[in-house]
Amino acid sequence: MSAPPRNELEALGLSASCADVVRHLWDYLDDQLTPDGADRLRVHMASCTTCRGYSDYQACFLEAVARVRTKSDAPVSLRERLAEGLKSEGCSCWEAVRKDRSEG
Amino acid sequence: MDVERRDAEFAREALPWIDDVYRFALSLTRDEADADDVVQETYLRAYRSWHTFIPGTDCRRWLFTICRNVFLRSRERQRPTVDLEDGEQDALAAGTVYEAARERGYGDLYARLDIGPALREAIDELAEPFRSAVILVDVEDMSYESAAEVMGVPIGTVRSRLFRGRRLLQEKLASLAAEYGLAPAAAGSDR
Repeated sequence: MSAPPRNELEALGLSASCADVVRHLWDYLDDQLTPDGADRLRVHMASCTTCRGYSDYQACFLEAVARVRTKSDAPVSLRERLAEGLKSEGCSCWEAVRKDRSEG
Repeated sequence: MDVERRDAEFAREALPWIDDVYRFALSLTRDEADADDVVQETYLRAYRSWHTFIPGTDCRRWLFTICRNVFLRSRERQRPTVDLEDGEQDALAAGTVYEAARERGYGDLYARLDIGPALREAIDELAEPFRSAVILVDVEDMSYESAAEVMGVPIGTVRSRLFRGRRLLQEKLASLAAEYGLAPAAAGSDR
């Protein structure tokens, strides 16, 4: 995977450590970095308010996206239809499709 | 495997995930009637091919894979091939979006406001395959590895699609914030 050209990062006025944060923060927040890489970012962010602000911003964003997950239950009509479909396939557990719903 | 045992396994492993599969199908189709069709087809296929499910593995992930394939086939887009930028380019672009947001005073937008409804709308508007990547990893909390299996692509591709999806979402939200004049309230507050 190729990294963004160094001059693009420098154009933003970033130090090498800040540039690493910009490039790898999502990997860090997703727990995809090696322990060494994660430590390097953590150490830098502890002393850089700009990168800490950026990290807070991205973490808040990911938390907001995670909160989008809503509880959408399959409608009763779908469960009825699915039960009928499985019954016609010869599935003996077709009634459990309805039961699961009533058990909430 | 005898039929009775197979059906008992199917009931125990697959049926508890109907609501999850429905929610995923709804995220993909953005239409309740279409989601119903996709879920119906997903479960019928799952039942017919239950012998291919490996006991002890993640049945929810297995069902999501079938669900996404059913959805793609219903759209006659079996294997979307989108030309992707490198994931790190999107990470860089997201940094630029943040800088612009900070300069305009809404660098703390996500902490300050309930952006749920706007975010949901923005996710719905994301193009495939970025929408799937965001939904699977960020909304459904799947690992990159699981999402890669569901999407049938390498992990690196999930990462690229995810980063692109996130960047597009942030651009959309920043643009909405500017449109609704949210900037002045926090101008200069996070410098």
